[in-house]
Amino acid sequence: MTRLRMFRSLMLALLRELADEAAYQRHLAANGREHSPEEWRKFSDVRLRAKYFRPKCC
Amino acid sequence: MPLTTSEPAAASGKLKRFLGQLIWAAVAVVAAFSLGAMAVNRGEHINSAWLVLAAVCTYMIGFRFYARFIAARVMALDNQRATPAERLENGHDFEPTNKWILFGHHFAAIAGPGPLVGPVLAAQFGYLPGTLWIIIGAVVGGAVQDFVILFASMRRDGKSLGKMAREEIGKLGGFVALLTVLLIMIILLAVVALVVVNALAGSPWGTFTIAATMPIALFMGWYLRYRRPGKVLECSAIGFALVLAAIFAGQWVAQSHTWAPVFTLSAVALAFAITLYGFLASALPVWLLLAPRDYLSTFVKLGVIFLLAAGIVFVRPELELPAFTRFTDGNGPIFAGKIFPFCFITIACGAISGFHSLISSGTTPKMITKEWHAWPVGYGAMLLESLVAVMAMIAACVMHPGVYFAVNSPAGIVGGTPAAAVATISSWGFPVSVAEMQQLAHTVGEQTLFYRTGGAPSLALGMAHIFAHSGGGRAVIGFWYHFAIMFEALFILTVIDAGTRVGRFMLQDVLGHVHPALGRTSWMPGVLMTSGAVVVAWGYFLYQGVRDPLGGINSLWPLFGIANQLLATIALCVATTILIKMHRARYIWITGLPLLWLVTVTFTAAWQKIFSPMPRIGFLAQARQLQATLGSGAVTGARIAETQALIFNARLDAVVCGVFMILVAIILVDSLRIWAGIFAGSRTSQVLEAPFVLSRLSTEEA
Repeated sequence: MTRLRMFRSLMLALLRELADEAAYQRHLAANGREHSPEEWRKFSDVRLRAKYFRPKCC
Repeated sequence: MPLTTSEPAAASGKLKRFLGQLIWAAVAVVAAFSLGAMAVNRGEHINSAWLVLAAVCTYMIGFRFYARFIAARVMALDNQRATPAERLENGHDFEPTNKWILFGHHFAAIAGPGPLVGPVLAAQFGYLPGTLWIIIGAVVGGAVQDFVILFASMRRDGKSLGKMAREEIGKLGGFVALLTVLLIMIILLAVVALVVVNALAGSPWGTFTIAATMPIALFMGWYLRYRRPGKVLECSAIGFALVLAAIFAGQWVAQSHTWAPVFTLSAVALAFAITLYGFLASALPVWLLLAPRDYLSTFVKLGVIFLLAAGIVFVRPELELPAFTRFTDGNGPIFAGKIFPFCFITIACGAISGFHSLISSGTTPKMITKEWHAWPVGYGAMLLESLVAVMAMIAACVMHPGVYFAVNSPAGIVGGTPAAAVATISSWGFPVSVAEMQQLAHTVGEQTLFYRTGGAPSLALGMAHIFAHSGGGRAVIGFWYHFAIMFEALFILTVIDAGTRVGRFMLQDVLGHVHPALGRTSWMPGVLMTSGAVVVAWGYFLYQGVRDPLGGINSLWPLFGIANQLLATIALCVATTILIKMHRARYIWITGLPLLWLVTVTFTAAWQKIFSPMPRIGFLAQARQLQATLGSGAVTGARIAETQALIFNARLDAVVCGVFMILVAIILVDSLRIWAGIFAGSRTSQVLEAPFVLSRLSTEEA
């Protein structure tokens, strides 16, 4: 049961990482900021610009 | 004599070691037995479970022994050494990440359409050659390349392959690597777009579903930006529900007398639509279309791969295709050429992919917490990618061979009418009838399944077969077929829009040296001009593929395979140079042998594609044949211009292939010069790693 819970939390963490939600939380913590629509948009712009500067794999 | 307290512990340790050795010996026996069962079977159908068992057990042995040997003896991975993620942690790129999360992240980044489409095309030789290459190629080639490049980048503050090539081999090497990536991307975008075009041509259901993903992505973009900022998972779940609804609506559209003609598009019309889409996606803000589609495509991709694995394990279908087909002689209808070298360049990403080295020297090295995590992330993720390729091979081989060839063969080879096509295919010893094909097309909600080249429709058929046998039966096969088409098209379109964008950035980077304004990503005329240039470049090859009477895949897929493997050659040159500079010359066979194999395979394939006297293989021979036909007066009217265009295209393909060979030969010669200098003592062997810093993170924290 504990292993199942661990697996579930690992999967959720992976989904959050893939969704950039974990990176956003880190960004808020690192800069001591609160979540707001404007803050997300700023974060997202920087993140996506870097992300789509690299080719996607075939 | 009484036992000391340490003796029972030592005895227990010995027992554990013995049990461990016994288990690994059993895994090795199962691997050998499964590979044997797969290889020696002739004339009878074998169960797909043998392929899965052979692959999984071989991967386990490769991972546990070969990769561990490389990690410990060659790279000397050290968990005491702080990684860039720890030293340069900034809350953005550099971030220590849980190894399993990073494994998933890296796998999601390297998994593209290549490992799915390549094996489906290579199945024309039978299941055996492709499957063996996927398994062996990944264990000793692809996974090693990914692992060594990840290690090298991790020890160099997460530097990219291009930068490492420049520093380790020289300025010329770095420039050539950049140029090769740009050229490869143009061919890659054209070929994956061709796969989508061939899957959607004449299919109102598929076309509607994919068209519907555009407004869905725009809605998601708006939702994420203004309605619920930051809620990516929630937004993706809504997007996925909408895409599922679009698949159901697509069935209604296909049956509607009013709407079906609107969404029944020719291959040429679809090619123009996708080219226009690529242009818009490259020029529009990323958050509006590209990013939401990418989030959705990543989740769907992982979900479908998991579902396919579960379906294969649950259904364990029999393989209908034989171990070898008659097309090992080089006269295959899907692409021409013998097993050597063409099987090895057709299966690109499932065995070894140069593009992976860009990911291994991109985001991943900046997120590794401990050096030993590179072992599962770098080597292990490639093994999983290889397993995906094995699953794609299984999905292709569960079809009746006659159906497989009817779907994948172009009209130019098997005949322009269904009756002619089934007669040709049946004469090869793979019986199939028009009624059987019509029935199958009707079951999956398509008008026809003849001449659906490119691999996507046959992969979708195989996947639908496996999913439907897991539950629901024939009643749901149409849904699963279109679900599979949607899944393939969704992430191929993501590759197209992201690739066009990156191509635009590369071009702006170069043009910025000529005129500074052109280099500015915020200057709209420059953005539109460079986007247009990139789109025209890959759009031209796409159009050429669509108009090709031999189906386009015959010329474009090998070109892509050669390009991708040549990029792997560059990566392995960098990796070998680094090993030599690390004073690990006695281990250079680890990267040197895959490099030697790739050079042999790709240069042979490229040479044959340019100079083979067979018109279906050699571009120049094809041009000569067309020229002769034109000269004989057999071509008249409007077809004269068309034939002239085909002659030009064949010569252009030969030039592109030649340019690839020259670029990689330059890097190869440059590398050999450096290696010879180091061995002769005329050149210093300087390791350019970041200095050692003691890690503050404990292994438990990691």
